[in-house]
Amino acid sequence: MSQTQNQATVDPITLEIIQSSLQSISDEMFAAFRKTAMSAIIYEVLDMGTAITDASGNLASSGAGIPAFVGVLDKAVQRVLELHERDEITPGDIFATNDPYYGGVTHLNDVVLVMPVFAGERIIAWTANIAHWNDIGGMVPGSISNEATEIFQEGLRLPAVKIFDRHQPIRSVLEIMKANSRLPDFLQGDMWAGVAAVRVGERRILELIDKYSAETFSTALESFMNYGEQVARQALRELPQGLFELEEEQDSGATYKVTVEISNEEFIVDLSDNPDQDAGPNNASRDGTMVAAQMIFMNITGAHESANAGHFRPLRLLTRPGSVFDPRPPAAFGTYYEVEIRIYDLIWRCLAPHFEKLPAGSFASICGTFIGGRHPDTGRHFTIVEPEIGGWGGSVTHDGNCAIFSGFHGDTFNCPAEVAEARYGLYVEQLALGEESGGEGEHRGGKGIVLDYRVRADGCFFTCAYTRNKHKPWALHGGREGSPNYVEVIRRDGHIEQYAVVTALEVNEGDIIRVHTGTGGGYGDPRRRPRDLVREDLRNGYITAEIARTVYELAP
Amino acid sequence: MTKMNNEQVAASAATIRAATDVGGTFTDLVYFVTDHSTGEQRVVTAKANTTPPDFERGVLEVLMRSGIRIGEINSLAHGTTVVINAIAERKGVLTGLITTRGFRDSLEIARGNRPDFFNLHYVKPEPFVPRYLRREVEGRLAQDGSERWPLQLDELPAIIDDFRHEGVQAIAICLLHSYANPAHERAVLEHVRNLWPEVSVVASHQITREWREYERTSTAVLSAYVQPIAERYLTRLSGGMRERGFGGQLYIVQSNCGVDSVEKTSEVPITMVESGPASGFWGAAELGRLIGESNVLALDIGGTTAKCSLIEGGQVKITSDYWIERSRLSAGYPILVPVVDLVEIGQGGGSIAWVDDFGKLHVGPQSAGALPGPAAYGRGGTAATTTDANLALGRIDRDYFCGGEIEADMDSVERALGPIAGRLGLDITEAARGIVRIANNNMVNALKLVSLNRGYDPRDFTLVAFGGGGGMHAAALAAELGMRKVVIPRAAEVFSAWGMLMSDLRRDYFITRLVSLAPDQGAAIRALLREAVDGALTQFSDEGIEPERISFRQYGRLRYENQEHSVEVPIPDGQLHAVAIKDLIDSFHQAYEREYTYRLDAPVEFVGLHVVASAEVGKLEPTRLAVTGRSLEDTRRPNRLVDYATEGIHEAAIYTGELLEPGMSFPGPAVVETKGTTVVVHPGNELTVDDYGNLHITLS
Repeated sequence: MSQTQNQATVDPITLEIIQSSLQSISDEMFAAFRKTAMSAIIYEVLDMGTAITDASGNLASSGAGIPAFVGVLDKAVQRVLELHERDEITPGDIFATNDPYYGGVTHLNDVVLVMPVFAGERIIAWTANIAHWNDIGGMVPGSISNEATEIFQEGLRLPAVKIFDRHQPIRSVLEIMKANSRLPDFLQGDMWAGVAAVRVGERRILELIDKYSAETFSTALESFMNYGEQVARQALRELPQGLFELEEEQDSGATYKVTVEISNEEFIVDLSDNPDQDAGPNNASRDGTMVAAQMIFMNITGAHESANAGHFRPLRLLTRPGSVFDPRPPAAFGTYYEVEIRIYDLIWRCLAPHFEKLPAGSFASICGTFIGGRHPDTGRHFTIVEPEIGGWGGSVTHDGNCAIFSGFHGDTFNCPAEVAEARYGLYVEQLALGEESGGEGEHRGGKGIVLDYRVRADGCFFTCAYTRNKHKPWALHGGREGSPNYVEVIRRDGHIEQYAVVTALEVNEGDIIRVHTGTGGGYGDPRRRPRDLVREDLRNGYITAEIARTVYELAP
Repeated sequence: MTKMNNEQVAASAATIRAATDVGGTFTDLVYFVTDHSTGEQRVVTAKANTTPPDFERGVLEVLMRSGIRIGEINSLAHGTTVVINAIAERKGVLTGLITTRGFRDSLEIARGNRPDFFNLHYVKPEPFVPRYLRREVEGRLAQDGSERWPLQLDELPAIIDDFRHEGVQAIAICLLHSYANPAHERAVLEHVRNLWPEVSVVASHQITREWREYERTSTAVLSAYVQPIAERYLTRLSGGMRERGFGGQLYIVQSNCGVDSVEKTSEVPITMVESGPASGFWGAAELGRLIGESNVLALDIGGTTAKCSLIEGGQVKITSDYWIERSRLSAGYPILVPVVDLVEIGQGGGSIAWVDDFGKLHVGPQSAGALPGPAAYGRGGTAATTTDANLALGRIDRDYFCGGEIEADMDSVERALGPIAGRLGLDITEAARGIVRIANNNMVNALKLVSLNRGYDPRDFTLVAFGGGGGMHAAALAAELGMRKVVIPRAAEVFSAWGMLMSDLRRDYFITRLVSLAPDQGAAIRALLREAVDGALTQFSDEGIEPERISFRQYGRLRYENQEHSVEVPIPDGQLHAVAIKDLIDSFHQAYEREYTYRLDAPVEFVGLHVVASAEVGKLEPTRLAVTGRSLEDTRRPNRLVDYATEGIHEAAIYTGELLEPGMSFPGPAVVETKGTTVVVHPGNELTVDDYGNLHITLS
């Protein structure tokens, strides 16, 4: 049997094999990237993603990593295509964007690299990756400041520009990038890791095309997206239909509103009626808002295998230009992630009372934590940039997970204390489950953490921006709400300060930065929790005797 | 008396090396009898049911059943799933944990990751020690091993009392930075032993000297969890063997594909966690040495899973980055023990084909197992398996199914394939081809994971395929990966056992220690090496193995400063002068560039050692196969039509594998059939038989 079938008659097995190859290529790109990255936030926290799109930038497959990056890369490719004439794109080129006004979606620290794959003269696909680069310039080390009011203060903008031309780095551009970073070696190492990843992807796709022909490859992509759409539509038909609404006050005092309209045909998320764009960095681009909507849509209608452009076809998003979810230049985006996770949590909360698939609220903050200064042993500068783990809400079937990354993260790993002590020159005095009450329920919320960093050198800085601080993780069906996210700074003299948002706070030798993340919300009336489970919780110290008696009403 | 003498004569005239492997369903025995007068080697196999939870009964049973005289066995290598079973079925003992103050929850917190990331109902793997049995002691080391504040043992008696009271049977100890300095752990260990001499106890540094507290804690806990069970098992096994007259050497197969003594294994039984699966890969490396193939992709296809591993320069890759129950759906549990770097997928002869709601065909990971087995067994299996598809396509001879032991129920095969064909809108033959192609593709993806994903080009390797299903798929997989050569070992279905009998006594030591690579740091690295080598020498000499029998290989684990993943490069013998340090760095740059396609102009740092110590303990001597001058024609059976899936239907020559002799060769399309395997030779392939009876297939 020869491989000369035309487009109309490609057999389903060949299509399936090409589709599964796409997944393995995305995974291979991910592996290559992770192994070679210079920054812990990439190789250990896995704040990164890889993807393949079709010729016009429709998402075909994505590698492991974090769900919040799955829907980002297609938007970058689409923007590169918009901004370039077709004859400006040649084999071996690599484009970079980090700017939400130029397809960068998130914030300037997240740099996207995309590479066209050519079948002869024709673009047949794109390979892409995104990763958090430690320092891209801007007004503070680590580039993210709660004080920024314009994107110009947040670092170097790469507006979907070419950085490699026909396989060769464009030296002048690279020099500009390096000169704009406080950590040029990291920047260079992370960039080359990203380059290696898109190139591996390009090579593998070329091999596939060589074997099966460009036409068959394109057919496979198209049928794969149709499959994604089928999965989504079938799931959509099984959802409760109607109009769902929610208003929620935020820690900042602003009120966010969402309407979700679900029919057999569409899943419409309407965020038009929301506040004007933020004067600070608390904005999410429209693309970023879309990613939040796509994530919750995936949570209730799909699984990883079908996360492609087809799956998202039934989803529609309405925003208002000039609003916090669709801001105009020069709005800043540094802490976009707290805005995006608020949208995500808002839609989740709006639907949860009606959808068994959705658990009660979680700690639902990235809890982005930044600590930097001079390493007392090596004298070199160090920066911690890390999200924190916290408690998830109870669900219809289970207690919430303890100490796990937010819904934005996925196969993300926290930093071991032993590694952190060597790398950052801090002491990690404890990493334990939180002791605060909250989250009681028939299925209780999972515990957050208490994490102590003891500073070993004078003149270090600490920055954070946590949400779910004033307004705690929400409960469902009679459960109790969870506990808040916050940080205590315990000075050497014993004085304690408390923060949810702070920028470049000076911390010195002997000070302790104590991170508290929230317990998730409870699900169902605590009095309905089986008594043996309450006694077990008590024995394990997940609850106190007081809570057992007063909230669970456990007889002595 | 006379009889005894005869036995002694028989024993001295031949060497018998045996291997037993306890699998999920069957306990297998293979032994090789080497006749000293003729040099001939016979292979004998036997099977008995696996007998959980007292696995040793099955082992003793298969030995009795085989007719072998236990007293005549010179050495027995034993592979067992007792450890992995105890963990998988949660049948270990109630375990208590002692950690550094502030870190008892490390085991439950784990790393916070959620691989199935769109699933909001993801459930984190449950810790093996509940929180009320996780206790803390005061005292703290820094990352360089220095003491920040002293260890306090005054709370230990109360903790031990509690543990007794709660019915704890094993205790794990893991303290912060014990990889750098085990002093505090040793003190706690000693104190526990004094307070409670009967309890089973293990400290993390006894198993691993690598950093990352969660991983080390998990390792210590899982080791403690299975320790009493494994110890009991090994004691009963060796006792039972001795009672039956066994006087030879008993070796336990380790996860690093070496073997080790019963005593040593009993101390840290968690090293048996991948006992068995590893052996085939060692066998592949040994076979490669024998036939001059030092770069091998090794593939083991069984009934329910396929496993693969990459061998470079004759060396099996051993890592300590090993996790159980880890998948796209679960974070799993880490065990920092040296394990063959292998990828395993749910893909074997018994894998079930199915069509999802959206008309996509899948094969596996569910398997029909031994019962009911593939539809063709005629034992009530209604699901179509890869084996059924291979039968339908004439790749497996329906008249010589399972070596003629089972009559293939072709009606059941058709009934099973029918619904799949219907759902796909294909005819039965096309559906069967589809199943074979999908199964092949799944295995190709696994082979890519161990090669391409780690920076190796499969085209630079020879595919060595074994296990019952290896020969069936190997040529097609090699073609898919652009590989030019496939080797199917003689007696491929028991090749893992052969690997066990080729193993050395081998131990892998991984040590984390950050050392700068400044020109004057050679002495520090040399001292660290000395420490590792001395430790190994002491261990071996405790077991009566003389230093001159031990050979060492030593690797530095280097990386660019601030990177995480290190690359192993060999450390040369002798003094590490400035020049040698520079050479070490150069070889790192080279190895790094080969693996990742670029190098950096950045400082390089040394993060630790990997030292391999091995001693030969009397291997099987491979023997050449006799040539009787039989003609190729005499090995043939009637031709039949074979469907080669993408290559269409061809009339294939059929050969009886047992009759093939060194020097014979023939082109595909052909099929070689033995009692235990079927080797499919595709059109354009050329097969030759080497001196040892291995089949070499060259792809065009």
